[in-house]
Amino acid sequence: MPVDANWRPKIVAFACNWCSYAGADLAGLNRLQYPADVRLIRVPCSGRIDPQFVLRAFHQGADAVLVSG
Amino acid sequence: MKRVGVFVCDCGSNIAGTVDTGLVAEEAAKMPGVAFSTTYKYMCSDPGQELIRKAIAEQGLSQVVVASCSPRMHENTFRKAIAGAGLNPYLFEMVNIREQDSWVHSDREQATRKACDLIRMAVFKVLKNKPLQAGTIPVTRRALVIGGGIAGMQSALDIADAGYDVVLVEREATIGGKMVQLDKTFPTLDCSA
Amino acid sequence: MVAVAQHPHIKVYTLAEVDAVNGYIGNFSVTIRRRAKYVDWNKCTGCGTCETKCPNKKIPNEFDLGLGTRTAIHKVFAQSVPNKPVIDAQHCRMLQSGKCGVCTKVCPTQAIDFEDRDELVTEAVGAIVMATGFDQFDWASKYGEYGYGRFPDVISGLQFERLVNASGPTGGKIKRPSDHEIPNRVAFIKCVGSRDDTKGKSYCSRACCMYTAKHAMQVVDKIPGGEAYVFYMDVRTAGKGYEEFYERGVSKGVKYIRGRVSKIYPRGNRLVLKSEDTLLGRPIEVEVDLVVLATAMIPAAGSSEIAKRVGFSTDKDGFFQEAHPKLQPVETFTGGVFLAGACQGPKDIPDTVAQAGAAAVKVCGLFSKSELATQPMVSEVNAARCSGCGLCLPICPYQAIGMQTVRERGHGGTIERRIAAVNEVLCQGCGACVGACRPGALNLKGFTDEQLVAEVDALCL
Repeated sequence: MPVDANWRPKIVAFACNWCSYAGADLAGLNRLQYPADVRLIRVPCSGRIDPQFVLRAFHQGADAVLVSG
Repeated sequence: MKRVGVFVCDCGSNIAGTVDTGLVAEEAAKMPGVAFSTTYKYMCSDPGQELIRKAIAEQGLSQVVVASCSPRMHENTFRKAIAGAGLNPYLFEMVNIREQDSWVHSDREQATRKACDLIRMAVFKVLKNKPLQAGTIPVTRRALVIGGGIAGMQSALDIADAGYDVVLVEREATIGGKMVQLDKTFPTLDCSA
Repeated sequence: MVAVAQHPHIKVYTLAEVDAVNGYIGNFSVTIRRRAKYVDWNKCTGCGTCETKCPNKKIPNEFDLGLGTRTAIHKVFAQSVPNKPVIDAQHCRMLQSGKCGVCTKVCPTQAIDFEDRDELVTEAVGAIVMATGFDQFDWASKYGEYGYGRFPDVISGLQFERLVNASGPTGGKIKRPSDHEIPNRVAFIKCVGSRDDTKGKSYCSRACCMYTAKHAMQVVDKIPGGEAYVFYMDVRTAGKGYEEFYERGVSKGVKYIRGRVSKIYPRGNRLVLKSEDTLLGRPIEVEVDLVVLATAMIPAAGSSEIAKRVGFSTDKDGFFQEAHPKLQPVETFTGGVFLAGACQGPKDIPDTVAQAGAAAVKVCGLFSKSELATQPMVSEVNAARCSGCGLCLPICPYQAIGMQTVRERGHGGTIERRIAAVNEVLCQGCGACVGACRPGALNLKGFTDEQLVAEVDALCL
């Protein structure tokens, strides 16, 4: 199957405010470059993430979901 | 009727250098519930905060979204500004388009699109925000200092001189720490006791 | 030191450690373990008779880093605060074998108490300042080229401090540990363990350039005809008056050689240092009487344990993690816990004093209010939906959820049932309970299911 060269994935990332979200901020402070396709959703803790959110994301058309905390 | 205001910060060139903030503000204006959107060079500055307060009053905003740096940096700054305009400070969401966008991406188009997406997420969220009230907890005005070296002693003295009680805990049988082992200390070469 | 002990607002617990910390900002409950001293300090006058009579006199003195000896009952040093002795149980003949008790006989105030035991006390405090300091990098286990600690005349900077200190084991005379001769030529090696990824730490320990400059100057000043050689990678003198201080040493004749010492070996009763002078671009050899190593600062022993007990994080090197490297250098991510001194990272005395003052101001700022605003983003229970299953109770990491009884009308009368109740002060707003709640009765204010789903939906549009 040919892949559209302009296709960009939709990546949902749930990031714990205290570690992963802070880590993403630190990546910014250090100007580390990464692909722009990921969208972070800040949560107070990875424990806050309900499996329903992950299913919802896929159901709504997300290509990948990252849970980090 | 909910009226969301979106405020996009240039952060000098920190954000505007990579993200087309003007375009982002235009796009934000088209999002559901958004009644007002604008950009400013430094949203956290005094004039920036004043701009938000003025817009709340003049545009009758019910919710506020600020797209700027990390909320870990300035969330409280903007909450206070919004509270100053009489709005509940929790009817607010902050969008991180600096640490997690302009600083980590170099493609202007992609970074701008990401900023729009992140703002749309915040707009959708803020429409569901409810006013929250902070409670209060008492404060025991008494400090514990762990370690009786120069750092611990100085802290303990400063706190105690301000009139508060201090409990100082030291592992060894004497306070003083490493410093009392030293002879003279630079750059003045005076005694260390 | 004396100012601390005599201050009416300061209560000092020495020979004590923090066993447990409970509570939260403004309301901590701290359990302190006071270790057994075997001396009743209320009776003891600090006269020191016991120290002179104690038969076990050959114990290496930790305070002098093994350069001197002490007795089993001892003061840490002559000007200890409080100026009272303790018994080192491991070396006390009475406590080990039940035979001795000389100190009991000579003590004029009957202050010796072999029955003394550890004691736990609880203190209520509103803020905590961490000031646990640093330890020295254990160079002897890592640096084979410097003899793995086999050469008695290769010592650390802190040991040199004891030698040059008027109240030290030599009375302030710089003498070699091996034969107690006054060394004529002393070499200093900087960055031992610092700025060395392979054997030590990647960071710069900040204070060593300056204390080495001081030590070298003391060699030149105190020893007639004394020569000092400093082997360095860089000379870093950032600080007010520091560069001038270093220049003073150079003008007094301290020789700085840019190069890493690759080997130290004995020749007669002296030591030979092999190095390269990278400015001359050729190998060199220097024969000296004493070698002083500027060892790296590392977090004090037990740092990570106390960090866990108090409830905050450490960085990659084990130093305490500040909330922000620039804007919150004395705060931690835990409310009400502040940092002062080298526990946060290597620093010298001026920086330590400045940071300690900053931490104190943060504490005073906290204490200037009689009450604090709580964070309102906490969990809430929808009473109508809660089935009272109690699954959320063990999930909560903060023990913030309990059960309560509610009375409701139903089934033609009043019924009582048990539902979950969130303590809004203890709740830290993590939301772990929300995902665990089967009937969907719990929600986290500010991060509700509806809010997060709205974000997901907006993103996938």
